[in-house]
Amino acid sequence: MAIENVPELAELALQAEEMSGPTLENEGAAALAVGLAALAAGYAERGIGAAAVGAIAEDDDMFVPGLIMTVLPETLVILALVVVFVV
Amino acid sequence: MSVGASNPEYVNARVRSRRASLFADEDYRKLIRMGPSGIARFMEESEYEREINELGARFSGVDLIEYALNRNLAKHFHDLLDWSNGQLYDLISRYLRKFDVWNLKTIIRGIYTETDPEEIRTDLIMAGELEEATIDRVLEVDTIEDAIEVLNRTIYYEPLSDAYEEFEETGALVPLENALDREFYEHLLDDLSRGPAAEPQEGPEAKYVEFLQAEIDFRNARNALRLARSGADLDPASYYIEGGVLFDESELNRLVNDYDALVDHIGENKRYGKRLSGAMDRLRNADSLIQFEHALDAALLEYADTLSSIYPASVSAVLSYILAKEREVENIRAIARGREVGLEESEIEEELVIL
Repeated sequence: MAIENVPELAELALQAEEMSGPTLENEGAAALAVGLAALAAGYAERGIGAAAVGAIAEDDDMFVPGLIMTVLPETLVILALVVVFVV
Repeated sequence: MSVGASNPEYVNARVRSRRASLFADEDYRKLIRMGPSGIARFMEESEYEREINELGARFSGVDLIEYALNRNLAKHFHDLLDWSNGQLYDLISRYLRKFDVWNLKTIIRGIYTETDPEEIRTDLIMAGELEEATIDRVLEVDTIEDAIEVLNRTIYYEPLSDAYEEFEETGALVPLENALDREFYEHLLDDLSRGPAAEPQEGPEAKYVEFLQAEIDFRNARNALRLARSGADLDPASYYIEGGVLFDESELNRLVNDYDALVDHIGENKRYGKRLSGAMDRLRNADSLIQFEHALDAALLEYADTLSSIYPASVSAVLSYILAKEREVENIRAIARGREVGLEESEIEEELVIL
């Protein structure tokens, strides 16, 4: 490419940036936040769920406590959901 | 080697639940006052119900208790291997090889004394890694040489064939048994620790290594004390197990000849000195080796418990359960045997490992 063309090319690039908005809108970012929080909650529940099933296998009375412990990380997602209403 | 992700959470939850259902110290006190049939009845109302019922028709008295204990132990440890995956499986199976070693020793002794295979079989604890089919085939052969040949392709083949020459010269089983023991202990630290300098420094693996080193050290200390006490003219090097931190081989050779220096050496060790101080005092004063060995067992168990609360989701909890279960089985057996031969209650109590 010839060197003379460079300024024109730069101008073109600047114009393109002015025309489009940010890559990620606020709503998009909020959705991403909720999604990541859900992923994290799932990961946390993996370990707890495994332990809970182990405990239930040994003792049926552990079903209710096990269930409660397993869904506790779900609060992460609920808190992250707040972001959706704020933006 | 097992593939897949390791699942410490699941195994830990189950193990801790089973740990909680072990006999408490008060139960031992109750058991001490019972006769063999009373103990069997007590066991029938607990964990051991199934085993007692299964074996009740064939055996009675102390034999019934003993076989029920062995069978229950095997069942629980087999479960551990069933549940675990990945690296956890490797670590547990490596530790449970202790029972393979026990079984092979029993079989070799049985062959040596020409005992009936069926009788040998009742004394085995099927909790190890070797498959039952292999054990069956070892049971069927008539000579020790053939038995070693059957174990071809297991890790015990090489050390046993090496030790067999020595066995042929001396006619004593000691070299074979030492070979098995050393094979077990030296594999424990495989691919976790590459020599004293390259151990993992922190995290669950470091604690696992620390625990195993403690076990090796205690084993070495026990052997050294026994040698020093008996004054037997044996080469201590053939009993020495590598991998510990308490002795190195030359130290051990020097110390075995001097009993007091040996006791001092163990007592002054930074890592174990404090933990074993009570046991060391008893060793110096009462000069009862049995008491000291029980103190070592108790110290190891406590050590495992501490480790399992430092890293809740690691293999430590499983190890502490294995130790606790073995202790329970040994205690009940000691009580039953003690009652059978008519020991005093206080004498039996001395035989127990109670924290």
